Amino acid sequence: MEIIGKVSKGSRMDQIYIPRNRIGLDIGSYAVVRPLEVKRFDEKPYFYNIKFIEPLKLGIVGEIMGAINRMVEDYENIIVTGSFLDKGFNFNDIDVIVVSEKKLDKRKIIREIENKIKIEIHFIVLSSRALIKGLSIDPLYQMMLSKCVSKKRFVYRFKPKMSYKILDLHLLKSKLLIDNFDDLNGNEKYSLIRNVVAISLFLKYKKVNKERVDKEIIKIFNLKSISEIKENMLDKGLFLKKYRVEYRRVFNKLMKGIRNGT
Amino acid sequence: MVHNRNKLIDLFVGNISNSIVHKILEKAIDTEEIGRRYDKEAITSREIARKYRGKINPIGTRLPEKDIEYIRNKIVNKVRAELGLRISKGYRNIDLDLIEGLVDDTLKNMKVI
Repeated sequence: MEIIGKVSKGSRMDQIYIPRNRIGLDIGSYAVVRPLEVKRFDEKPYFYNIKFIEPLKLGIVGEIMGAINRMVEDYENIIVTGSFLDKGFNFNDIDVIVVSEKKLDKRKIIREIENKIKIEIHFIVLSSRALIKGLSIDPLYQMMLSKCVSKKRFVYRFKPKMSYKILDLHLLKSKLLIDNFDDLNGNEKYSLIRNVVAISLFLKYKKVNKERVDKEIIKIFNLKSISEIKENMLDKGLFLKKYRVEYRRVFNKLMKGIRNGT
Repeated sequence: MVHNRNKLIDLFVGNISNSIVHKILEKAIDTEEIGRRYDKEAITSREIARKYRGKINPIGTRLPEKDIEYIRNKIVNKVRAELGLRISKGYRNIDLDLIEGLVDDTLKNMKVI
């Protein structure tokens, strides 16, 4: 027999009340108490450009997708992405994107997931129109989906569209690396450098993904590895000299595009 | 990194200028989808400027007149130069008349004036 009961708060111990009139579960008998899972999530997710993922992370992905699946009725897809999917455990939070046309109670969902997995979540809700538009005009969106785990198989068809003024606006953010070099940490520096290089590749109509961008960063700035940036080990003078040149080159290319009327 | 007061003021000016240029360029783009909802790591110039403001004495109240004059002039000139560079390269639709108002609003918001 099975009885569903609610845990209620007691003064010294919490308890679960069950009806007195029941068949079985006699006084003095032992019972197993476990959480009630309304809908279990046991579908296999889809992996995009992931050669290896730790089993522990796979469990976390399952927990996240299961929790969203229970709480959100109407969604097109759930995507887990970001540095969480890189090898090892050097991540601060987990990027979770829910593709949905509906307005969702983000706070409630985040609280529920974070309570369950005890890791910070960066939760984004995007309509599929916004996602496709983002993919066509913004290299960062392309990077985001170049390596991910998703609940459903996806094929997002988009044509890269050069919106030079918007790219100029994104590039401007990376200018602060020049003035604030000493006060930024390694991850902040990496994000600003990655932004310039991703825009540069995008302008050449090249596919933008993390591996390609990292490779290009290493080539342009003559580094041994990306960890030189992330661990804040850059030689300021040498690096900024090259960075200024690269920034200016991308900026001029954008201005040329704007002048030609896009 | 520890900076002296003048260096902090220059860093503050640089970041505020960048954020004002960003605001004016946003207005020059006639499309609704310019936000980057995915961009969580992007630290903004405005946040950094606020951090520097918190290190410039007096904190929480307006700065001395000579500092205000220096900061205001420097921001206006920097923003004008950055936008002027774009205009000289053929960028149209930039409204330079917005500069002074935005500088004053931002400085009020940052408790400089």
